Amino acid sequence: MTEANENKQTTTADTEAAPVEAADKPAAPVKTAAAKPAAAAKPPVEESPETIAKRAEAQKRLDEMKAILEDKFGEGALEETGLQKFQPTLVIKPEYWLPVVTYLAHDESLTFNYPECFAGTDYPAKGFIEVALYLYSMSNGRFITVKVRTPRDNAEVDSLCSVFEGANWEEREIYDLLGVNFKGHPNLVRIMMDDDYKGHPLRKDFSVWEQQ
Amino acid sequence: MWNNVLHWVDQPFTSATYLGMLLGGVLTLAITLGAVTYTIYGERKIIGWMQGRVGPNRVGPFGLMQSIADILKLLIKEDIVPAKADKALFMIAPIITYVPAFAVLAVIPYTFHHYFTARLNIGVLYYIALSSISIIGIVLGGWASNNKYAIIGGLRSAAQMISYEIPLALSMLGVVLLSGSLDITRIIEVQQQNGLWNVFPQILGFIVFLIAATAELARAPFDLPEAESELVSGYFTEYSGFRFAFYMLSEYVYLIAMAGLAAALFLGGWTGPFGLGWGWFWYAIKSFLFIFLMFWLRATMPRARVDQLMGFAWKYLIPLAILNLLISAVEKLYWLKG
Amino acid sequence: MATTELRTEEMLLNVGPQHPSTHGVLRLVVKVDGEIIREATLVIGYLHRGTEKLAEDLQYTQIIPYTDRLDYLAAMINNHAIVNAVEQAMDLQVPERAEYLRVIVAELNRIASHLLFLGAYLLDLGAMSPFLYAFQERETITQMFNEISGARLTYNYMRVGGVKWDAPPGWIDKVRAYIPHFREKLKMYHNLVTGNEVFLGRVKGIGAYSQEKALGYGLSGINLRSTGFKWDIRRNKPYSIYDRFDFDIPVGKNGDCYDRYICHMMEMEESLKIVEKAVEQIQDGPVMGKAPKILRVPAGEYYASVEGAKGELGIYIVSDGKDKPYRFKLRRPSFINLQILPELMEGQNVANMIAILGAVDIVLGEVDA
Repeated sequence: MTEANENKQTTTADTEAAPVEAADKPAAPVKTAAAKPAAAAKPPVEESPETIAKRAEAQKRLDEMKAILEDKFGEGALEETGLQKFQPTLVIKPEYWLPVVTYLAHDESLTFNYPECFAGTDYPAKGFIEVALYLYSMSNGRFITVKVRTPRDNAEVDSLCSVFEGANWEEREIYDLLGVNFKGHPNLVRIMMDDDYKGHPLRKDFSVWEQQ
Repeated sequence: MWNNVLHWVDQPFTSATYLGMLLGGVLTLAITLGAVTYTIYGERKIIGWMQGRVGPNRVGPFGLMQSIADILKLLIKEDIVPAKADKALFMIAPIITYVPAFAVLAVIPYTFHHYFTARLNIGVLYYIALSSISIIGIVLGGWASNNKYAIIGGLRSAAQMISYEIPLALSMLGVVLLSGSLDITRIIEVQQQNGLWNVFPQILGFIVFLIAATAELARAPFDLPEAESELVSGYFTEYSGFRFAFYMLSEYVYLIAMAGLAAALFLGGWTGPFGLGWGWFWYAIKSFLFIFLMFWLRATMPRARVDQLMGFAWKYLIPLAILNLLISAVEKLYWLKG
Repeated sequence: MATTELRTEEMLLNVGPQHPSTHGVLRLVVKVDGEIIREATLVIGYLHRGTEKLAEDLQYTQIIPYTDRLDYLAAMINNHAIVNAVEQAMDLQVPERAEYLRVIVAELNRIASHLLFLGAYLLDLGAMSPFLYAFQERETITQMFNEISGARLTYNYMRVGGVKWDAPPGWIDKVRAYIPHFREKLKMYHNLVTGNEVFLGRVKGIGAYSQEKALGYGLSGINLRSTGFKWDIRRNKPYSIYDRFDFDIPVGKNGDCYDRYICHMMEMEESLKIVEKAVEQIQDGPVMGKAPKILRVPAGEYYASVEGAKGELGIYIVSDGKDKPYRFKLRRPSFINLQILPELMEGQNVANMIAILGAVDIVLGEVDA
């Protein structure tokens, strides 16, 4: 089992469109769509037919979503697309972030009306902070991840408060812990740390000792 | 001489009757304080049993000394007055609450012989009039504390007690009408003569009385003034030490007084079954039934909401009390001609 | 003639962080006009321990005890959330017996958590006894957890690939005996509380919100189901072996405090059903599967959620293929559910404030992480 696992790891690492940077740098979070079937084809990983079928279906959904969004907003709206295991993931250009999410949430055939998980991640090696939003469509049971990337300095993203009321605190938390400014947020103040706290703890270059 | 001391109620005012009055006051105070101590103990124990706990059992045998230890602790505690409180009012408020609480005990006839208590011919009126004074102490305490929870608690108390005083008084009126007297002793005597406790012809009045009394005493489910989950402790949030003890005491003294009143007005006071003597014994049992009901309610009921409480008093209890008065008049005319 | 107007002032009432019914260290700053709330602001973060940051320096197994401290009333389910997330990411197999044990303890923990809701909520509403009755039953569950995991509150029981300990001899029988006993107790709670007029007056129609609102706020768990929306991770995104059990998902109708209360009560019954089936079906066998000593989640991003006691408890892992997560984000249901509170409180009086806050059922350890 251990062996198989290690094998699998090497395979995934191989197939990733990994930028060539320092060895301890995080792997690319989004695997390109093309890379994944190749991983499935590699022999050491024993993948059951269900896994392959699931992945194929996820791929189909991803292509569908991609087509819908590109049709609506043009080719330039999407930065990158791919699968996270079975989760279709679309990276959206910052300027399209608010309109795309609004469209996803309010369009009658899509109705991604449930914000499931809202997370920000700092990637200093790649120079951006990524905000990921897991959306679920309650009416047709579909789910996707949309992401937006913003440079680490002067990180700024449009606020989604007008789309989901629930984005309010999530965005405050991301602002507090990662230092992303959400434009148009009604009350962007720290939520977890003190109001006069300096620094953003979840950034990778944060150090407790520098706070003193 | 001893006759004068013991039967001071009916005698002219002399030094001997004065001695009797004084003795009566001191003894009543002592007995009541003892009763309060063990009412608190009983409450904790009974509610404890109802909730599957043991209740106090550490201090003394069966925890019998628990309340005494508590009171002692309160008395020797530092008397804290908040810096921004209205000092004079803050200090005086518990006393304003406490004094009427003890004063009303004067008209509660524990026994037929008024050794210790006054036989006032306007006993019922006296009780209602004096007990309303306590509300002032509560409002003042809430106001003087300069604490937002205390002021909300104080104002809630004022609203609640004033609202519930009306149905309480109205429910007593039926009894007064049947007996033709405001004298509590006379009311008991009439019940004795008729061989019928007022609770039977006055069943509606009794129910109104019970509900209004519960609210008047601010006990669950009407314990809004000190609703812990909302207002921390209500009007006595800022009080500690013996001033807190004063509030606590007056609350329990009122409980005992109200129980005595219920026993006198509706349950035939000191009269026992088969003409047995020991008036005080029957009186204690009847009072305890009322007190037990309060404990039972507290262990069972959630708290009502403030607006529901007011609405309940004005929309249901007062009309019911007036209806009861009407029924009493009819009963007086055709049944209990007294 | 000039009429003198009554001068009224709005008062700023600071409820908490130290207050009997804020369930921990929540602070509410409410503007009250008399007893009517005009505006409520929530201040949280008093219990923030930086779990997400700490997790970045810990191996996956080492994170498990930290999850115990999130929703400390349902630590088993938190354990389940993280081990489930890591197992799904690594495609690990878990032995049957371990899965059954997990389900049994998770559902018992759900009952314990709901019992605490019942007790604390009624205490908020001013009834003292249900609190003690609920704690009596919770105590039995806590004892059983003590026997199986060695702890009463922070269990640290599950491991990636299985569970740490097998059930001690006779434990399963204890659980089996507990089920009918608890059914009786549930009936007693209904008798004592559900039909009580004063209780109904306090909770019916209070703090109601619509389905759309609940979805927009991202509410989950009972807070979402009380609006009539059938959404339960155990059913909608089956994990572990929940697809083997037949259970209902109780839903409310109006989304008010009463519906939330009754959903809690009914969920306890459903959890009992699951436990009953699970103790019937459980077989002997190993409780720990083949998992590598040092867990390395393959590089990538993963999100997996379980139905926590308070709602959807999700774990978002970004891994760079090492033994520690690159980013470890917790979707804490209490945190998200709490957001709707200011909106519900507007225009209510102080007594309703407590009723609404209590019904949302939060745990500050989870809100602040």
